[in-house]
Amino acid sequence: MISRRDFLTTTAGFALASSLPLPALAQATPKRGGTLTGTWGGFEPQALFVPPGGGSSPYFTSTKILERLLRLDGALNFQPVLALEVTPAADFKSYIVKLRPNVTWHDGKPFTADDVVFNALSYWKPVSAGLALKALTGAEAVDPLTVKLTFNTTVPEFFLKSVLAGKSGLVIPKHIYDGKELLTNPANNAPIGTGPFKVKEWVRGSHVEMTRNEAYWDAGRPYIDRLVIRWWRDPASRSAAFEAGQLDIGCFNPIPVPDIKRLEATKKFVSTTKGYENSAWVATVEFNSRRDIVKNVAVRQALMHAIDREFIGDTIFFGLATPSTGFIPASNTLFYTKDVEQYPFDPKLAAKKLDAAGFPLKGKSRFKLSVVSAGWFEENVKMGQYLKQALEDVGVEVDLAIPDRATSLKRIYSDYEYDIAISNNSGPIELVPNWTQFVTTDGIVKGAAFRNANGNSDPKLDALVEQLTTQTDPAKRKALAVEFQQGVAKALPITSLVDIGSVTIARADVRDHSQDADFMGESWSRVWLDR
Amino acid sequence: MRRILLRRFAQIIPLILGVIVLNFALIQMSPGSFLDVMTAEQQVSDPAMIERMRVLYGMDKPVIIQLLKYIWSVLTLDFGYSYRQNETVLAVIMQALPATVILMLASIAIALLVGVLAGVVAAVKVNTLWDNLISVGAVFFFAAPTFWLGIMLMIVFSVRLGWLPVGGMRDIGVDHGVIGIALDVMRHLALPALSLGLFYAAMYTRVMRASMLEVFRHDFVRTARAKGLSGAQVVVRHVFRNALLPVVTLLGLQLGTVLGGSVVIETVFSWPDIGSLMLDSVMSRNYPVVLGVLVLSSLIVAVANALVDIAYFRLDPRIRAR
Repeated sequence: MISRRDFLTTTAGFALASSLPLPALAQATPKRGGTLTGTWGGFEPQALFVPPGGGSSPYFTSTKILERLLRLDGALNFQPVLALEVTPAADFKSYIVKLRPNVTWHDGKPFTADDVVFNALSYWKPVSAGLALKALTGAEAVDPLTVKLTFNTTVPEFFLKSVLAGKSGLVIPKHIYDGKELLTNPANNAPIGTGPFKVKEWVRGSHVEMTRNEAYWDAGRPYIDRLVIRWWRDPASRSAAFEAGQLDIGCFNPIPVPDIKRLEATKKFVSTTKGYENSAWVATVEFNSRRDIVKNVAVRQALMHAIDREFIGDTIFFGLATPSTGFIPASNTLFYTKDVEQYPFDPKLAAKKLDAAGFPLKGKSRFKLSVVSAGWFEENVKMGQYLKQALEDVGVEVDLAIPDRATSLKRIYSDYEYDIAISNNSGPIELVPNWTQFVTTDGIVKGAAFRNANGNSDPKLDALVEQLTTQTDPAKRKALAVEFQQGVAKALPITSLVDIGSVTIARADVRDHSQDADFMGESWSRVWLDR
Repeated sequence: MRRILLRRFAQIIPLILGVIVLNFALIQMSPGSFLDVMTAEQQVSDPAMIERMRVLYGMDKPVIIQLLKYIWSVLTLDFGYSYRQNETVLAVIMQALPATVILMLASIAIALLVGVLAGVVAAVKVNTLWDNLISVGAVFFFAAPTFWLGIMLMIVFSVRLGWLPVGGMRDIGVDHGVIGIALDVMRHLALPALSLGLFYAAMYTRVMRASMLEVFRHDFVRTARAKGLSGAQVVVRHVFRNALLPVVTLLGLQLGTVLGGSVVIETVFSWPDIGSLMLDSVMSRNYPVVLGVLVLSSLIVAVANALVDIAYFRLDPRIRAR
């Protein structure tokens, strides 16, 4: 029997261990110098910087060069980067941004409030963060180091800061972009930023070489002299590169899962799942409310009982994914709640509920559904095949399609041509708008991917999200977020099947990595090599 | 000969037009568009931004106008702009071209050398241990998946022995001068060229062996022997030269595919080749790049065909007479 004391000490020990930065080593004094070769579990970006976002690959490369006003650390606190502080006015309808002095762009020009005003009005609002900054009405430079952002509604502090620290908040130089087309600007292939690294050379198909920014505002940093981001198209080749000593760190599942243990066993490598809190991935299942059978909520609930999420996590993802309990992943410690309607795996119950919903077995099947699984991940292919079997087990005939990327996007998000769709979302801690736009009425935009494709339109839920967008009291926001998750779990327009864990692999002598809420998109100015 | 060459080159223009129209239609007919892929990948969900991108990509115009505009620009030697790479299509292709050509020529050279030699040996020593060994080897390298062969070579030579790099085309950031760079590229080239070359070599071996055995049976070979020529002279002057024709045909076909690259090998060795560019462009429905590569490829096919014709004339004067 475990005594109360044992229980206390073990849980305290656990809490301590999980709060330690990884790798859990004593904080030694960082060493200067060396070349770090990094990669990620995907391909080369189409351009080093893609203004509207461009997905993980350009985000990975551009964030070493371009910086944001704030960053979110591993404990989910905002830390200053280009802004020293961001403070709301008493009515939360305007914010004062105090900028860091003596920051220069890579070409030597000073970084000032004009740059931030340009970014807010000509880049963030019209291009990268239009939905999040819907309420932004103005930005003005109060003095060379102070910017005032004004809004037409109240704006919660966490929300605004998470936009500024998020994927769409990169700060680009006004003197390079002003008056020129943003999307096709040549500077996108050789960005000029304020970050710790400068682009030296990009060899397409191979790597980009970056050198230390000697004039970086954070004195003494970055610690490494040269950063090489190199791309391999094949996970097994990345393993080989690690073993041959030609790769130091790989983010976002760089190598096949069975290789992780093998590499770790050599003691030369460490793996961590930290550093992904603000870009959590889930596999989603959604029900098209334009279709006859699945618009019935009772049918949706019954079908959820037919899906074994443990199996998906253990077998399809080799244990790298864990069953989701609702739409929002459990890694979102700020807003997540487990207190929502649960649908445990129980095929008998599923059958019973389908009977009760008015769909008894006729011969061998109850009805036929078209399932589209977006074929951009290997796991989605397997999940589609699994779903077909699982649904057939409860007497639902399945017409399965696993099209390629472009076709999947069209079928799910443009043509709405499915009953059940399997797709993915990768979203930040903040729920608005990335997570909420999957269920709100204004999220229905034909042809816009990763938004409301299920056609769900519920005035109550819309009102709830509206409040979530403008409520400035953190405790009340959390309560609204819980209510939101409960509503989604009950009506099931969409929900998550599994929370997909992301892994970083690094050589043991790479220090102080994975300490931010989105390490892949951080500047890596604090990473150093213990060689 | 000149007439034949002229005819070959006259075929290029309708060929290219056909390539453009056919592939343009194929890409238009495949579900999903470049705009879908770009907006999804960039997670653009603001309708105004999507509209702005549609106009930028020229996709607000009717399909037929897009096609005519493209054909006109190709006629003026302008292959268009790739919004994905944010560069002109020609620049995008040119960046991948040297690596592609080096890899393909090196592997074809290996294939030709190894294949022809092995084929000759197998035919001369037919039904001996040598022949059997070569045949087994050829079947093995033909059947073994190239990616597997590549990974195995990599594990042996790069991971275990540490002699060769695991991938890429150049060591990063080391400036060695011209000779140093050439040596560096060759070190990186060795494994991908070998794994691809051995696969092709298997084909050449089989064709060369069969062709040699065929020629051995001809009357003029018996005559040559009866004249008292030595075995080596018969093999080299009479049999080898005549047996080369099918190999040249095969070589011609293969030279035509040089621009296709090899997605498998470049994936394993991260060789910065055109194959993955092409794959990515098809997957993202980026038709200017797809068409650009195909137009260049059809040019190369035409040139390769002309070269094969010339080789035929040299090897077999009878063709000229016909």
